[in-house]
Amino acid sequence: MKAEEIMTKAVVTIRGSATIAEAVGMMKEKGLRALVVEPRNATDPYGMVTETDIVYKVVAFGLDPKAMRVYEIMTKPCVVVNPELGVEYVARLFAQTRIRRAPVIKGSLLGIISVSDILRKGDFVEKPKSNFELYCEENPGAPSARMYDS
Amino acid sequence: MMKAEDIMTRSVVTIRGSATIAEAVQIMKEKKLRGLIVEPRSESDPYGIVTETDIIYQVTAFGHDPKVMRVYEIMVKPCVIVNPELGVEYVARLFAQTRIRRAPVVQGNSLLGIVSVSDILLKSDFVEKPKRLFIEDEIEITREEARAICERQGATSPECAAAWDALEELQAAAADQRRKQPAKNSLQQYCEANPDAQECRIYED
Repeated sequence: MKAEEIMTKAVVTIRGSATIAEAVGMMKEKGLRALVVEPRNATDPYGMVTETDIVYKVVAFGLDPKAMRVYEIMTKPCVVVNPELGVEYVARLFAQTRIRRAPVIKGSLLGIISVSDILRKGDFVEKPKSNFELYCEENPGAPSARMYDS
Repeated sequence: MMKAEDIMTRSVVTIRGSATIAEAVQIMKEKKLRGLIVEPRSESDPYGIVTETDIIYQVTAFGHDPKVMRVYEIMVKPCVIVNPELGVEYVARLFAQTRIRRAPVVQGNSLLGIVSVSDILLKSDFVEKPKRLFIEDEIEITREEARAICERQGATSPECAAAWDALEELQAAAADQRRKQPAKNSLQQYCEANPDAQECRIYED
């Protein structure tokens, strides 16, 4: 299973110069936990702002969301995921970088993938894949991946 | 200040520590939950929690079999618990300082609900009414600074006046934060429920 099969395609972008209050309004309206911050030009990286960023950095200090801007708390550049990346590798990438969601990008923004998507739409309960199985899938010609019938 | 109990999610599902991860995933999918509370084994046993992040980071990421692994292997127990009376801004600060995103709301031995960063974002009033948590401390410092400035620059200097102005502004903000909504009397309550009643007419003279 690949990232593109389980990602959420409804993704909303926001400018880095928008206020936190605007970001919260969009999140509430669309029922989202994160917004992707648009690149400013073709060479600029993608960014992200999540509900955790807002709670940890704005609410926890009692700061005014109408006076603060997205660029002050966003993560940019953020980790991005290739649509062809296997779900198990997305899970491992998330665990190793301690993140919970990332935009799926190839050329353009295709969607967003989160731990919730993996939990709800992934097939890891039915088909858990060990390192060895992943290796054999990628390298079907490797000697260690040979299958003996008898 | 809004409290944890005002924004918490009351529908909370518990699971045994001996259940398999596959069972936990099933419950999470069915009930659309991101975290389950692990029941205490006895009265003196603490609460635990298992979240979707625990499952993805510790099971899926390693390709372990969720049907073989048990909740107790990945749960956080004892977990941080929140008192229902705790103010929302303090919940946010507790979460930020402990790097967590959800916690059970517990009073005495009973589980009342679960509060998460989503609850804070969606249900609290931090956009309309941001609250500075330690404004009393800020006032104390501003007052000391104002006294020092006035002593140094003279009591009639513009710097001295500006320092006292700053203090006054802080005190006004603090007073505004402290102010509670006045309780509605019974007629007001009645009129809110029955806006068309005779008693609730408003005369514009």
